[in-house]
Amino acid sequence: MLDFNLLAQGFQIFGDQGLSFLGASFGTALIVIGAAKAIGHIAGSAVESIARQPEAGGRIFTSMIIAAALIEGFTFFAIVVCLLAVNKLGT
Amino acid sequence: MLMVLAAAVVMLIVLLRAARRRAQVPSGLSNLIEAICVFIREEVARPVLGENTDRFIKYLWTTFFFILFCNLLGMIPTDGILYLVSGFRLAGLGGAATANIWVTGALAALAFLMIHFSGIRQQGLINYIKNFIPHVPWPLRPIMYFLETIGAFIKPFALAIRLFANMLAGHTVLSALLGLAFLARSYAIGGVTILGCAALSLLELFVAFLQAYIFTYLTTMFIGAAVHPEH
Repeated sequence: MLDFNLLAQGFQIFGDQGLSFLGASFGTALIVIGAAKAIGHIAGSAVESIARQPEAGGRIFTSMIIAAALIEGFTFFAIVVCLLAVNKLGT
Repeated sequence: MLMVLAAAVVMLIVLLRAARRRAQVPSGLSNLIEAICVFIREEVARPVLGENTDRFIKYLWTTFFFILFCNLLGMIPTDGILYLVSGFRLAGLGGAATANIWVTGALAALAFLMIHFSGIRQQGLINYIKNFIPHVPWPLRPIMYFLETIGAFIKPFALAIRLFANMLAGHTVLSALLGLAFLARSYAIGGVTILGCAALSLLELFVAFLQAYIFTYLTTMFIGAAVHPEH
């Protein structure tokens, strides 16, 4: 299965572009997993605490939105890195 | 640059018109702008800044309204309308102004200058450098200064990247979804795709407001931490 001659020939034809695509796609998937788990945890805690004390709902909702936006900040930074890997560094 | 100019013109028209009505009870456009301004002053700035609210509120209002108008003007397909009306294709008109890293970088650079200059003006340079780090024993001080300096550069950089990537990601997902409609040349798939794009545009409107609010809120927090360092 791991025929090194064939791999070397394919590498000479396609170059490094396939690897950058693979790396960028895999990286984006990992980023999505991390961000979804983090924001889901925050949303779950927020909903539970609103259920415990409904009159603090406004402040809890505001804190949840701010925490989600902070997490999305560096998530989007990582996505931008993946986009750069596909567009610029791949060609 | 054209979209930034358009946002500035729209801001001047809307905000000056809203500020000019001197009735005791505002109504219409004045009511809308005043409600937003009061929300930012009372819910965002006053809990953090306290008595320094009125010093910084003009800068915070300007930042909020500029980012909001830039984001919202990016929802209008100006280059499409221009092409439909006249047949010209003008490169550089259309899209959100904040979907450009230089625009958001400039906003973040202004926030950086605002934070540190107002901190130095409030406390004096020596006190500001002394209060830059939390109180630790003296062997740890060099590494704390190093980390806080890196943090001082990374926080505005994160502000810029957050706003830029949120705006860019919205438009990219929209274009990818519309490309799906082009790929499958059928009316049914095109119709469903357009409904999906409409729903995504509603989400993007929410994200436009949210990102302007988050930028303003974080800038307020940083200014508050520079002007009133916690002991």
